[in-house]
Amino acid sequence: MAVQADQAPVVDVARRKRRRGQLGLAGSIVVAGAAAAAIYLVMAPLLALLATAFRGPSDLLPFEPGAHWTFDNLIDVYVNTPLVSSVLPNTAIFVAGSVTVTFLTAFTLAWLVERTDLPWRTTLFTAILFPLLVPGVVMAFAWTLLFAPNAGWINVMLRGVLGLGSPGPINIFSMPGLILCQGIASVPFVFLLLGAAMRTMNPALEEASSASGARPLTTFLRVTLPVLRPGVLAPLILATLVALEQFEMPLIIGFPARINVFSTRIYFELNPEDELPAYGKAAAVALLFLVAAVVLLAIYNNLIKRADRFVTVTGKGYRPTRYPLGRWRMPALLFVGFYLVVGAILPAVVLVWTSFSGGSNESLNLDAYRALFADRRFWPAVGNTFLVAGLSAGLITLVGALLAWQILRLRFPGRALLDVVSFMSIGIPSVIAGFAVMVLHLTIPIGLYGTVWILILAYSYRLAVSTRLSRASLMQIHAELEEASAASGGRWLDTVRRVVLPLLAPSLMASFVLLFIVGFREFTIPMVLQSEDNWVLSVIMWKLQADRQTAQAAAVGTLILLFVTPVIFVLRRQLLSRQGDS
Amino acid sequence: MLTVRGLTKTYATADGSYQALKGIDFDVPQGGFYTLLGESGCGKSTTLRCVAGLEEPDGGSISIGGHVVADVERGAHVPTFERDIGLVFQSYAIWPHMDVFANVAYPLRVQRPRVAAADIKARVMDALRLVGMESYATRPATKLSGGQQQRVAFARALVRRPKLLLLDEPLSNLDAKLREQMRFELQELIARTGVTTLYVTHDQSEALAMSDTVAVMSAGRIVQSGAPREVYGRPVDRTVANFLGSANILRGKVVDAQGGLTEVALDGGASTVQVPSRAILSRGAPVDVIFRPEDATTHLDPVDGAIECAVERIVFQGGMSECQLRLGPILLRTVVHPVMGARPGDRAWVAIQPERCILFAA
Repeated sequence: MAVQADQAPVVDVARRKRRRGQLGLAGSIVVAGAAAAAIYLVMAPLLALLATAFRGPSDLLPFEPGAHWTFDNLIDVYVNTPLVSSVLPNTAIFVAGSVTVTFLTAFTLAWLVERTDLPWRTTLFTAILFPLLVPGVVMAFAWTLLFAPNAGWINVMLRGVLGLGSPGPINIFSMPGLILCQGIASVPFVFLLLGAAMRTMNPALEEASSASGARPLTTFLRVTLPVLRPGVLAPLILATLVALEQFEMPLIIGFPARINVFSTRIYFELNPEDELPAYGKAAAVALLFLVAAVVLLAIYNNLIKRADRFVTVTGKGYRPTRYPLGRWRMPALLFVGFYLVVGAILPAVVLVWTSFSGGSNESLNLDAYRALFADRRFWPAVGNTFLVAGLSAGLITLVGALLAWQILRLRFPGRALLDVVSFMSIGIPSVIAGFAVMVLHLTIPIGLYGTVWILILAYSYRLAVSTRLSRASLMQIHAELEEASAASGGRWLDTVRRVVLPLLAPSLMASFVLLFIVGFREFTIPMVLQSEDNWVLSVIMWKLQADRQTAQAAAVGTLILLFVTPVIFVLRRQLLSRQGDS
Repeated sequence: MLTVRGLTKTYATADGSYQALKGIDFDVPQGGFYTLLGESGCGKSTTLRCVAGLEEPDGGSISIGGHVVADVERGAHVPTFERDIGLVFQSYAIWPHMDVFANVAYPLRVQRPRVAAADIKARVMDALRLVGMESYATRPATKLSGGQQQRVAFARALVRRPKLLLLDEPLSNLDAKLREQMRFELQELIARTGVTTLYVTHDQSEALAMSDTVAVMSAGRIVQSGAPREVYGRPVDRTVANFLGSANILRGKVVDAQGGLTEVALDGGASTVQVPSRAILSRGAPVDVIFRPEDATTHLDPVDGAIECAVERIVFQGGMSECQLRLGPILLRTVVHPVMGARPGDRAWVAIQPERCILFAA
């Protein structure tokens, strides 16, 4: 019961820095390789993008002969244009609205699951997280099947019950529709982070308040919320970054309503109806949002540091007290149930049903699947999806772990810059990441453009996932463990292979799984970089639904759900036990 | 002041259930200092948390200052915030988002009816003065050392002058030197305020030095309670004897028993001792004779009635040395003056004070 907490100052020892001399040749090559990879995956594309914003004229490639330095792009984009009068306000409303919806929902859910005596908590935890693995484009498509003004299931049903005429009454193709869909789609991710923050809080802080004579509500307002603040604000900023980079909801739900946000605007600059792609103008638009993202990132970084200082060590293994819900039990269950119905169950049901019924109400059949499996684009897309998700997850995990190690353990010039580069990727919107890789590889023609390989490179800008996870576990590994290997005669590679990597294995695995999921869900980057040779499943689904092949699109969605469902059960234990780190 | 009757508590675990408290009874008089002493998992913290209202017992009753705060049979459970207590946690639980003043003022600020701001200020400063932290009032809580956090935690627990002060291993997160210093300060503080105190610790020296009454707990029960000297000098069984200080155990058989004295022939046939005993033991019954290191003298020359052994090692501890002696399979420990010039392998004679020995049936 009275377990002694080991409060030795781990960090000082773990952070002991070493000079490069001890690495040996092999070590130096590996370390330098990781640094070079980070620069190639993150820095180089961004620099190419920055340069593109200042290159013209717009009918030439940015670095084609004839192109020159210019401010024309910036003037074209920012002076008296729809960007300023409509895209900017739309983006602001969309981000603010959806983050609010996400946050209120996720906070309530996390609170109910982590801190109250809500029944069936473990099951509900899994159910709430389920949509986390489903690509946003699948969710968006499912919601249009439910809430489209003419044929949406819910609208048809409501019209029947209320005796109204078509269309309506709900119009998903509107700003409120867009906000609600995006808001609900981001709930699982934020729920996961908030839940972790609530789980790691020292219960004695609340008990001390209670023992001081404070009522539960007072304790909640004056102790729980303030103590949780850093753990709540950091996910809030991450959710804002996620909303800012959102592309699939604005494309599928916003576009029919003529609502353009920044991500769709960049996409349409790159894929205009009948003109040439306007690289310079797209880069100029990207510039503003990159700045916004970097500012948010700086705030986030600051908060994370504060949160670390805020953490108070739990002295004992007592689990936090759970608040008895009492007569709020039914309302709480109804709230969770409503979220699950709208956010997970109905979308899944409508997808499966539509894939078997062909969208009409005739007999169920397998036509959609037959057509899909016969489609020459389908099987290569399946292969591409897994290849790209798997290889990019492996690449990032390896490079990220090596980067984290050298940033923590080595002293070398440029270390601070590398730290920033490895961290920055959290804040780069994926539209911009895809676009930046495109510009870079249009400029250096090494034959990757238009292949699956460019997708792997583009996906791999998400270094931060791996560096942050590895960094957190490296901090826990005493540098002495590595020094003991050296003292036993182990060379650098031996130490890394036999000591560091095995100790890091759990976090490497977590990083790989997380990145695989991200890669599996990815839609924006393969859209921006798409060619006939590198379609992935999410893109195929979008193409099918854009071509009005609704049943086939639903079949793709159903297959994705089928693949994802067992994965969430495998992940559940890991998610439940792991402490929160983005 | 504090009355606990028949307290039971069972936790559900992955493999069935675990009974943490198997019926706890005790009373703490007004102004008393009562210590629950025991190893990890003995139920001492659970008892304290039941008194605080942080855990709900499955059976029994608790009353504080004449008010029943928990009575399972009558379904009464007063929530923590309505109990008149002050609580200091092992981790101190100083709120990181408040400064020192705000931490200490909190119990007054949440009190209803409201306490006037001027009163709050005066009482907080009084409490801070009591723990010697008055110059740290505006310091953020995250900028405090362990010892300072501890003082703030005390000030916070005492600021609303509770009827009952609950201390849950408050010293165990401090380093050895600070722990000793804080122990004295704490004792003085409690004496000055006269508050009734329930103290939970696994450290026997804290328990012996500070308490009016020590209750030794084991496996969810209070095994023995009484004044520290009594519990130390007259342990009811080997567990208590071993847990409180170190104890030497000699095996033997009863030779004769009369008039409250029992004569025991020690195994090995070397000698017999006459030991006072409460229980009546039949002749030939196997027994353990237990004595404390400080209740025996060690000689390098033969002494009448002493037990002959071989010096195993001398452990120099500064002001005194611990002498470890080999007696067949048994290792005895005695206390000697550091100047004693014994070396490993030397013969030595241990003379026990029989009246200070304790006898248990083996």
